Amino acid sequence: MLTNNNSNKMFFLFILFFSTLISISSNSWFGCWIGLEINLLSFIPLISNSKNLLSVETSLKYFLTQSLASINFLFMILIKFSLLKNFNMNNIISIMMNSSLLMKMGSAPFHFWFPNIVEGLSWMNNFMLMTWQKISPMILLSYYFNKNFLIFMIIMNLIIGSLGGLNQTSLRKLLAFSSINNLGWMIFSIMISENLWLFYFLIYSMMIFMMISLFFLMNMYFMNQLFINNMNFFIKLNLLINFLSLGGLPPFMGFMPKWIIINFLLINKFYFLTFIFMMTSLIIIYYYIRIIYSSFMFNYFKMKWVNLLMKNNMSLINLSSFISISSMILSTFIFM
Amino acid sequence: MMKFLFMMIFMIPLCFMKNMFWLVQMMLFFMMFLFMNLNLNIMCFFNMSYMFYCDIISFGLILLSIWICSLMIMAGESLFKLNFYFNFFLFNVIFLLIMLYLTFSVLNLLLFYFFFEASLIPTLLLIIGWGYQPERIQAGMYLLFYTLFGSLPLLMGIIYIFNDLNTMTIYFLKFFNMNMYLLYISMIFAFLVKMPMYFVHLWLPKAHVEAPVSGSMILAGIMLKLGGYGLLRVMIFLQEVNLKLNYIWIIISLVGGLFISMKCFCQVDMKSLIAYSSVAHMSMVIGGIMVMNYWGFIGSYILMISHGLCSSGMFCLANINYERLHSRSLYINSGMMNFMPSMSLWWFLLLSSNMAAPPSLNLLGEISLINSLVSWSNISMILLMMISFFSAGYSLYLYSYIQHGKYFQGLYSFYVWFISWVFIIIFALISFKYDNFKGWFYFYLILNKK
Repeated sequence: MLTNNNSNKMFFLFILFFSTLISISSNSWFGCWIGLEINLLSFIPLISNSKNLLSVETSLKYFLTQSLASINFLFMILIKFSLLKNFNMNNIISIMMNSSLLMKMGSAPFHFWFPNIVEGLSWMNNFMLMTWQKISPMILLSYYFNKNFLIFMIIMNLIIGSLGGLNQTSLRKLLAFSSINNLGWMIFSIMISENLWLFYFLIYSMMIFMMISLFFLMNMYFMNQLFINNMNFFIKLNLLINFLSLGGLPPFMGFMPKWIIINFLLINKFYFLTFIFMMTSLIIIYYYIRIIYSSFMFNYFKMKWVNLLMKNNMSLINLSSFISISSMILSTFIFM
Repeated sequence: MMKFLFMMIFMIPLCFMKNMFWLVQMMLFFMMFLFMNLNLNIMCFFNMSYMFYCDIISFGLILLSIWICSLMIMAGESLFKLNFYFNFFLFNVIFLLIMLYLTFSVLNLLLFYFFFEASLIPTLLLIIGWGYQPERIQAGMYLLFYTLFGSLPLLMGIIYIFNDLNTMTIYFLKFFNMNMYLLYISMIFAFLVKMPMYFVHLWLPKAHVEAPVSGSMILAGIMLKLGGYGLLRVMIFLQEVNLKLNYIWIIISLVGGLFISMKCFCQVDMKSLIAYSSVAHMSMVIGGIMVMNYWGFIGSYILMISHGLCSSGMFCLANINYERLHSRSLYINSGMMNFMPSMSLWWFLLLSSNMAAPPSLNLLGEISLINSLVSWSNISMILLMMISFFSAGYSLYLYSYIQHGKYFQGLYSFYVWFISWVFIIIFALISFKYDNFKGWFYFYLILNKK
């Protein structure tokens, strides 16, 4: 990539979107694998920037892990076709297939690459990694999953996502661990129904988009930058609302998908699992509140030489936080 | 019922206009008097519509919350004078009032949970945004996490009930019998943490002390009563398990109340003393609800209302002293009768209500509670005796320490004039007793005749 202009990125972005569509709409497992490979191939040019050593290293790490997972996936597909003539789902090959897909997504226990790579990417690339790249592995997961294995993985996701974020100061790693935690919720939802997963995924990606666009516009990558900046009151309020919404507190929008997932958890009698879902989300709320504490304080230590201007494209952010607050009420107009 | 909701929602744009601070407060008083004139029916649910209802319990608590919110704005007058984000403060108060109003008046148990949780956010903002000391960070964390830890199992319980009964209407819950131990624990733990019961009471002294005066008023006045209201609603369909297991909570809360009352004597901070006395009163309320007889329910309801008024008033008075002396410590706040003799009238009236002296409403509540608890077991007489005695003890201790004696030698002159809004609390105490609860007297007479 000698030139790093937007037209190149647009080309690869288009292929990225297309590859996911190939993967999820194919009739055969080979088509799925092909989609995953094209996904990997088109994401690498998006994230690598030859002028920056860190992004080169990041893209190399991403390539290594994802191609390992893809090869594993292909091999398990072949074993399934050649050795197993039946179609029941809860067997050992499905465990292996699910493991490779979980590694593609960055779910525990194969999550160790995920915070590392998220640390090396810019915010918009992170947004792609956290939202779009999860679609095709998720849907492929729903085609052939092993229920007990996935429940165990969900528990690991929740615990690692909540406890891993406690010691982080980099905002990107924090959102990475919160993404791992939310993967737990999403894996459960896709075990119930694809529609339910789509609902959770859409709301989650909208919330992540609000967070990431806020951090992107303020160019914030670390926690100490939250305290040094002179943030406008509305930006702080926005940060507050978005993080509390991401944590799943009422009355914000993020409560609704969690409530619906808990409903399905209890219908299917997963009582202890529900308890783990709840308690890990408490830990997550703890470290979100640690981030947004400065937003609660109205007068705090301000530096005179740092002046954060309200940029032109922040009206979208204000609208999005308004949606975050009022969407629970607005949704009643839609659903009732 | 919806008319009050719309009135509150449309007060929100009013908070952000210029010079509307007192108008908002007057509108809240106006709404209070409007709400008081609703048709009231003690025996059943009234004013029912698709989403809202009113019961005698929710009526009283909504009235109390509107009252305390309007007094909160009056108490936040210094924010207006000093121009410290009073627009957002007004918005916080109105938002909190909307959430509390909706908590007490929705028919759906899940919506009750939703607004119960939602009322935490403006409280947290009040504590951290307008509090006075750096310890408020930890206080906010304790408040949020104690309450959330208790209430997430409540969400599980509510959804379990929905899946089992296919209804969440509070009115229909009395027809069902869900007698499962785990459901029982998950449903009532949230309210016990909120009340608070003795072992999970740690958030309350922190949150009450670190909150600004408005935050303390609403916390002591209404937020504790959310737990009592929830208990009163939820215990109906858990009756068999209640009969087996309630003695645990009664014993914990009564013995805990005794310990807390004794701990009140060791406090140096005025607000801390009032906060611990809140825990002691609420321990009696928990005891009264848990014995599950009629006198217990009524006594706990009356004590909730009267304690709300009384504690809020005491926090206001503590703040009046704090604004003048800039200290809440008992060592510095002594001999106030020399400077503000009319204040000593209000201190005396409120503290005598706190110790449940006649003719306050607290007395009615405590007598009913004593009756119900003693009818449950004779041994609770000892605990109740000690709790009532110690509550009289620390109330008198606080009064005489603050008012009598020699004043602190390091005092400079200060502003003696005050707004006499505290008297309205007393007025409310007496008027609540004699106007809205006239029906209760007739009930007692009828009951006694039986």
